[in-house]
Amino acid sequence: MSVFDGFKFRSISSPIHQLDPRAKFVYVCVLFAVAIMFNNIIPLLILFLIQIPIVFMAKVQKEWMRSMKGSAVFAIMIFAVNLLSLYFYAGHETFTSILERSLAMTVRFIVLVQSFSIFFLTTSPDMLGLALEQSGVPYELCFAFTTAVRFVPVLAEEAQTIIDAQKSRGLEIESGNFLRRIRNYIPILIPLIVNAIRRSLELAETMESRAWGACENRTNLYVLKIKTNDLLLILFSLLLLTVSIYVSIHVYIPPLTSLLM
Amino acid sequence: MAIIEAEELTYTYPVGEKPAFRDVNLKIEEGEFVIITGPSGCGKTTLCRCFNGLIPHFYGGKLEGEIRVCGLNVKEHPTYEIAQHVGMVFQNPENQLFALSVEKDVAFGLENLGVPRKEIRKRIDWALKITGTYNLKNRPPYELSGGQQQRAAIASVLAMNPDVMVLDEPTSFLDPVGAEKIFEVIGRLNREMSMTIILVEHMLDLVSRYADRIIVMHDGRIMMNGDPREVLVSEEARLVGIGIPKATMLYKILKHRGISLNRPPLYSEEACQVIREALSR
Ligand SMILES: Nc1ncnc2c1ncn2[C@@H]1O[C@H](COP(=O)(O)OP(=O)(O)O)[C@@H](O)[C@H]1O
Ligand SMILES: [Mg+2]
Repeated sequence: MSVFDGFKFRSISSPIHQLDPRAKFVYVCVLFAVAIMFNNIIPLLILFLIQIPIVFMAKVQKEWMRSMKGSAVFAIMIFAVNLLSLYFYAGHETFTSILERSLAMTVRFIVLVQSFSIFFLTTSPDMLGLALEQSGVPYELCFAFTTAVRFVPVLAEEAQTIIDAQKSRGLEIESGNFLRRIRNYIPILIPLIVNAIRRSLELAETMESRAWGACENRTNLYVLKIKTNDLLLILFSLLLLTVSIYVSIHVYIPPLTSLLM
Repeated sequence: MAIIEAEELTYTYPVGEKPAFRDVNLKIEEGEFVIITGPSGCGKTTLCRCFNGLIPHFYGGKLEGEIRVCGLNVKEHPTYEIAQHVGMVFQNPENQLFALSVEKDVAFGLENLGVPRKEIRKRIDWALKITGTYNLKNRPPYELSGGQQQRAAIASVLAMNPDVMVLDEPTSFLDPVGAEKIFEVIGRLNREMSMTIILVEHMLDLVSRYADRIIVMHDGRIMMNGDPREVLVSEEARLVGIGIPKATMLYKILKHRGISLNRPPLYSEEACQVIREALSR
């Protein structure tokens, strides 16, 4: 299990999984915009908290935790960089306010990762492809996208097989300096690429044999329709956006430390 | 009229110096079950590619002679048109499924043809049931075993309701149990729906019982073409090195030792039967 499992779609049935990808996309965009809008920690924390019930509704707590854990390293790095740069360049601020601003930037990063993670955990690539298609993206591109996603696990398995095979012939991958290590991967990459090319030729042959390109108006087995829940999510997103814009212009947000003291 | 008809067919790949096969004359009738066999590299796959127009349209190269499939001249009709008459199942099951669920894969051909959604649904269920993959409908292909994948691939072809199904070594990546299931499905399509079947296969033990005819290719030519029993007991077949069923071998060994059975058996149950007949004589 890796960090990527925190973003990989799991086929579960939940109200969040059933939402239209387009509605979820609007929600993620709004969340991004709002997160960028604020520098203060309070609104960013609120954004973080709003999403937690969604995680539970989607029943993806475990995977979500994994994405959070995976991003912890980056979060700490962002925190440290912010803290240091603010400390050295913004001399007139107090240490607590520097600390709070660095924390805010970190929470912002976490919110972004979180919304990404929720989107990809709950949206099947098939539906995503369909959403692209219904938004006017050419079918060939959407097909390439879903096919690429479908072959990720296959290629990963194949890479592992090649690594094992080359290791058993005495290839040492984790030895030598940086350049040496990159060179070590060549005997793995070449068979992998050759296989991928052979595979794509076979795929093309299969597609031809299944009447690819037979007619202009191809049908699609599934159609996306905006349902009540999708409308509610879009409405909620727009509301969130309006409120955030209003607050960021007209309302003074006190720093967290001043509230605590 | 024959459903597939080739006359003096010769083909050379764009990169090849000598033809992959030459002077092929072939007639396949509607409803026939034909096995094509022969040592690897003798041109079986290449010949199959001509049946649905991948040759010459996808591969290019030089195709001489005449080939008609369901009355269509292959050279003049694009692959997608011929694909509606000839379904093609390939060797590697993994590379024939490109969607994220079996259902979507089976739908692919019909979507391309612009068939209405309701009709697609009906045909998916039908094809999945015949191939025994209905319970896999919503599974992603990479979670399936090779045999399940290959049956899903057959379903994807079947859903397009072709007149002929061409299968190029569909079991070479499978275990014997998986292979046997595939053969059962193909056999049923042939018997119950009188679908014309062209099967390229090495292991004739499991499948020759279904065949009406066996074609042996050798070095780019059709060497033998006839009744399975006649072909399999012939000396030429042995010399070319095709996978003669063990039951048929037994017949030949017994004959060599002066014991003649009523007819050459193709599989073990039949062998038991003819031996019993011989003993009770
Ligand atoms: N895509 C290709 N390009 C060039 N030559 C090919 C190609 N596929 C097969 N050949 C050649 O054509 C001949 C027949 O191959 P093939 O039809 O694959 O035989 P079989 O399926 O009986 O093993 C072989 O000599 C092979 O090298
Ligand atoms: Mg072959």
